[in-house]
Amino acid sequence: MRGPVHSAERALGKLTARRGERVLGLLTVVALSASAILSLIVSPPDADQKNAARLLYIHVPSAWLAYLSFAVVFVASVAYLRTRKIRWDRLAAASAEVGVLFTALAIALGSIWGKPVWGTWWTWDPRLTTTAILLLIYVGYLAVRKLPDSPARRARWAAVVGIVGFVDVPIVHLSVTWWRSLHQGATIRLLGRSTIAPMMLAALLVGVASFTLLYLYLVTLRLRVGRLEERVMAEALSPRLGQPVEMLVEQADEPGEVTVGG
Amino acid sequence: MTDALLSDRRMDPEPNTPAVLLAGATRVFGVAPALVRVDLRIERGETVLIRGPNGAGKSTLLRLIATALSPTYGSGSVFGFDLVTGRDKIRRRTELLGHRTRLYEDLTGAENLRFACALYGLASDGVGAALEHVGLTGAADERVRAYSQGMRQRVAVARAILRRPELLLLDEPYAGLDEAAKDVVDQAVREAGGEGRTVVLATHDPARGGMAGRTLFMDQGRLLPELVAERREPG
Amino acid sequence: MTLIRQSAVMAAKDLRIEIRGRYALGAVLPFAGTLLIAFGLSLGPGRTLLQETAPGLLWLAVLFASVLSFRRSYESEGEDGALEGLLLAPMDKAAVFLGKAAAVAVQLLALEAVVVLLVAGLFGLSLGGAPAALAAAFLLGTIGLAAVGSLFGVLAESPRAREAVFPLLVLPLATPLLVAGVKATALATTGHGGEAGSWLGLLVAFDAVFLAAGTLVFGHLLED
Repeated sequence: MRGPVHSAERALGKLTARRGERVLGLLTVVALSASAILSLIVSPPDADQKNAARLLYIHVPSAWLAYLSFAVVFVASVAYLRTRKIRWDRLAAASAEVGVLFTALAIALGSIWGKPVWGTWWTWDPRLTTTAILLLIYVGYLAVRKLPDSPARRARWAAVVGIVGFVDVPIVHLSVTWWRSLHQGATIRLLGRSTIAPMMLAALLVGVASFTLLYLYLVTLRLRVGRLEERVMAEALSPRLGQPVEMLVEQADEPGEVTVGG
Repeated sequence: MTDALLSDRRMDPEPNTPAVLLAGATRVFGVAPALVRVDLRIERGETVLIRGPNGAGKSTLLRLIATALSPTYGSGSVFGFDLVTGRDKIRRRTELLGHRTRLYEDLTGAENLRFACALYGLASDGVGAALEHVGLTGAADERVRAYSQGMRQRVAVARAILRRPELLLLDEPYAGLDEAAKDVVDQAVREAGGEGRTVVLATHDPARGGMAGRTLFMDQGRLLPELVAERREPG
Repeated sequence: MTLIRQSAVMAAKDLRIEIRGRYALGAVLPFAGTLLIAFGLSLGPGRTLLQETAPGLLWLAVLFASVLSFRRSYESEGEDGALEGLLLAPMDKAAVFLGKAAAVAVQLLALEAVVVLLVAGLFGLSLGGAPAALAAAFLLGTIGLAAVGSLFGVLAESPRAREAVFPLLVLPLATPLLVAGVKATALATTGHGGEAGSWLGLLVAFDAVFLAAGTLVFGHLLED
């Protein structure tokens, strides 16, 4: 009885979702361009590090995204275990994939930056080390997602890893910080001075904002791919179960709430 | 613990709810459906036989009722408790005797039973009698690793006897058993039925039809409309 | 109370199986020994380098050997479908986690006692300095390791499990244990036992986090 109204709602939801996606994509491109102009042209070269310091404007935003995405994985994992709604699991999966990408990028950029500044590709800096371990934990998270054959079990296992992994990160950071500092004095700072020129700060903030938009855009895309994957599954199942695709898609997200008619 | 278990047993939400009630229960592995929109109602005290070829979905159905698997779509309840939200309450009242006997190879038959008793919060002084009941007294202190399939199944039957579940689910319990062991299983089924408990027995062995009040047929994950509706009073 | 009692029943069952199977003696200990010999050959024979790296090598040997213990602990549950029996038992699934962790911890402590003696002999690690701090480091490190391994060991019982996933997941998570264990051991064996306090504190924090997390979420790993 709610059929036509409901499908109209769904269609509208889809349309705005796609339109929202395009607007978000456009905003991301504009913000990233602004960030590129600010960091490559407008902001002055660093007094000590010259142009190498410009890596700051993408290294710091990447590292920020690494931690942001795994915080989102954590929140979505808790939400999944509490609500059992598969959309939370899709969000956790999307965020973890994007997070692994930016964690790897942050480490690679840090390494490239480290070469001219520290004279070495890698140093056992606490933040760098923590980020590397973070990457390994979430590669493990993605590996666990490939284990179970039932979507509910996959979501549950992944949620447990997503929660435990995130809770572990502060302990990892504390341990590697002590590991350095108790024996070798203070941490090496990426920037020589604690003060930062206003223009550099502005470029950094725009960089962080534009990367955050990029994150949102990528997660949105990945979520849509996740929904499409589920639709493909539902289309494969539909003739075997004798149920319309729409009904299977809907029920995948609301376990136990809707009953299939006999 | 035992007291808590007993008092919990009295707290059925409604005493007249059916033992098993499934509505459109569907279970999918990947894109392979193992159970397709099964509607099923089993009253308390019934003994029901489920027949069908291998791969018909009998095991999946029993494991779903036992809450070892959750339904992908659809819903169901056992003694009025929801299959997903009432799992613990269902598990207190249900025993699944599957083709895997769930024993530890490096423990003896008696140790396995005592461990099960401890898990279920039962006193373990019935272990000796249960082993005797299934004719295993002689081998009680040998490790399960040395047991034949028939002896393992006897231990599993002894576990079911110890628990006296309100709902006994048996999944191909005769597979690989000699005649004597089959009789032990038959006896356990008759006893449970005679005491007014509910039994669901899945087998492709046609010789076992006589024990059940009702026979259902499954094929390709679906429950076929009742062909044989020969109803008898249980026991 | 019931939780503790059921955990004890689980642990007693696991230890009995372990004693009967003698897996720790037959496979885990020889593996740890092999690792130590390999470390010695790759770093030796200079005595100073071996002495300096001994705490690290000791903990690495324990960490890698423990992977076998966790595998074994869950193998006995998978052989005949016993894990499903635990799932269908009307009890708090945290008891399975706590019981398994306790049983593995006991095995690991026995393993560590032998490995420590081996390292003392092979690499010249002196044990006299601060035995209390050394014992505390191993006890606390073992509890945390047993917790994280028992929590995720169950994933290896999945039908599609690949051997590599368990170490891939557990070893990075256990980084704080490795760092704190090695540092506390190094301090305790070089006569600076009193300075090991903050590392022991870190181990306590790790243990608390993983015991609590395991108790809360283990059931989610077990259910279908």
